[in-house]
Amino acid sequence: MSDCCGKGAADGAASGCCGEASGRNVLLYACSGGANVAEISDRAARELMFSGCGTMFCLAGLGAGIQGMLQTAKDADLNIIIDGCPVGCARKVFDNAGITNYRQIRVTDLGIEKAKGVRSTDEQVSQVVVLAREAIAEA
Amino acid sequence: MKKLEILGTGCPKCSQLAASAEAAARELGVEYELVKITDINEIMKYGVMVTPALAVDGEVKVVGKVPSADEIKALLS
Repeated sequence: MSDCCGKGAADGAASGCCGEASGRNVLLYACSGGANVAEISDRAARELMFSGCGTMFCLAGLGAGIQGMLQTAKDADLNIIIDGCPVGCARKVFDNAGITNYRQIRVTDLGIEKAKGVRSTDEQVSQVVVLAREAIAEA
Repeated sequence: MKKLEILGTGCPKCSQLAASAEAAARELGVEYELVKITDINEIMKYGVMVTPALAVDGEVKVVGKVPSADEIKALLS
């Protein structure tokens, strides 16, 4: 949990990231589906979280319409959505809830092919992390 | 009677939010009960991941920020 006393910001500063380091409340979401690109989205979101770029949050909770979670997303400074493929399920969760303060990243936009039964690689995860960091910095 | 719940572990911003919510309720002449929820596990049951947060009658209204007095009044009226 991010507290309001700047602990996350301090951690972020140590990592040189641009999200919580700037004092912003950045929430991270992964589609976490069944294909390789979804695994990449999940691993990238966790990597971003552990490097202090933001706090990973529960996409399923938003999809389920949990009121407090929806309000948490609405009040965030930035929501970073990492979708695996062009179906864009995570983004649609936001659109359905009427939440607009997000930036979407799609793993397949990096030229990574969607496949079942294929494990993600560290290099693929790193590519997504770099893209997400840029999105956080630009937003 | 409105139930104002301050979700937070007790940091200065949580106290600020509690004071602002109380002041807003008093200015509006609204009867209220103020409850401070400081246990993280209890806070997370509301779906809140960033504190402080304000819930009014069980509905989370604000997360991760201390709104202005006018904003709180709008939430209560």
